[in-house]
Amino acid sequence: MPKFRVPNSASLHAARFLLDSNWFFLARGRRATFELNPRWSHMEPLALAMGAAWGAWCRRQGYEVKVENLGPRARYAARMRLFDHLGVPFAPGVQEHEEAGRFLPVTQVNDTRSLRSVMADISALLHLQDDSETLAAVQYCISELLRNVLEHAASPDGAFVCAHNFAGKALHRVSLAVVDCGCGIREHLGRTHTEAAGDDAAALNLALRPGVTGAVPGMYGTPDNAGAGLFITRCMAKGSGGYFLVASGQAGYRLRRANDPQQQEILLEDPLAERHDSWRFRHPWQGTIVALEIRTDHIGDFDEYFAWIRQRTPRQAVASQRVRFT
Amino acid sequence: MTTTTLRVAPPDMAFAEDKDYARELRIAELLPALERGDAVVLDFQGVRFATQSFVHALIGEALKRFGEAVLDRIEFRNCSDQLRSIVDLVVDYSLGGFSIPEPAATGNGKRRESR
Repeated sequence: MPKFRVPNSASLHAARFLLDSNWFFLARGRRATFELNPRWSHMEPLALAMGAAWGAWCRRQGYEVKVENLGPRARYAARMRLFDHLGVPFAPGVQEHEEAGRFLPVTQVNDTRSLRSVMADISALLHLQDDSETLAAVQYCISELLRNVLEHAASPDGAFVCAHNFAGKALHRVSLAVVDCGCGIREHLGRTHTEAAGDDAAALNLALRPGVTGAVPGMYGTPDNAGAGLFITRCMAKGSGGYFLVASGQAGYRLRRANDPQQQEILLEDPLAERHDSWRFRHPWQGTIVALEIRTDHIGDFDEYFAWIRQRTPRQAVASQRVRFT
Repeated sequence: MTTTTLRVAPPDMAFAEDKDYARELRIAELLPALERGDAVVLDFQGVRFATQSFVHALIGEALKRFGEAVLDRIEFRNCSDQLRSIVDLVVDYSLGGFSIPEPAATGNGKRRESR
């Protein structure tokens, strides 16, 4: 049966175990199980958005979703509306002061109207009214990632997005995730890029490079797609020193956090040349997972990110001189 | 030469990410004006940030269709620093493509100059 087992630490830092220890989409039986850790769990947006997307997939396939070890320790997941998406009634007592938490609960986005609603709510939900640089970076990433799903993933349930602004004792950061159970990167890119067909890792590596889109073969893209969104999103995480993770099928890629400021200042076009982890999972994620961190104490000047990214593309000297800004 | 001024005023003015809006503006206003031979002012007054996807959806096709010469007929008005970088980026890759990714190598990266 499909099973989603949540380990003690279901975070970006410990993502490999979460992704590799599950057989999420085993098509057997009539029941799907979401198993919470019996003692405690630290769940971050990555796991919450995955759980919601998985739950929607299970329900669409006709599975009855059961949650094991449901109890008071699941209050955080309940506040993040995970169980709503799993279709499991659970209403623990909610402490009022917690309702003012700095989070975007798991939200399903299946059209541009719901995307606009998320974009409009982010500032207040994450308490970023006084941090315009972080807000811009978060809005940028969420917009690009959600539009990627809506335009390319062929996901019947759309995308599931979740974010949390960690502002306490731990590393100051916004952790966010956008997850779908759509066609996956290999199938999407494989239609136009032969090197991506049949190989999740190759497809994923290709998707992280600038100028690669499944819309047409080759570079540049179409009037509506350039294939740069995932690359720039990766740059955002890199520039602030945070994790960036993409997983699809049996492949996973994670850009590591910067240990010191110098590491985050160098931008490499080739994702495999960065400090990273590449994983091959025993069982696939049917769709795509993207999760990242914007480190709020390292974000710096948002404007400057684009001048930095801009350097990674060849300057057409004549063309650039002819752009007229007034 | 007639000059057409197009106000780029997406629903959420400060952060322009709505590609549907950009596409509509491109198809309904920008491309017809350029087809007529007009000069076009794209006025970003009130927009502080935009996504690359938004700017691409707005001007990418015009650059591809009319080539570099069209830059003589487009003026970008009231652009923030971030918008200028995005416009530069989109103009460059639209006319020249992205650089060809090289095999894994280190030491050839670009450094953020200031923080």
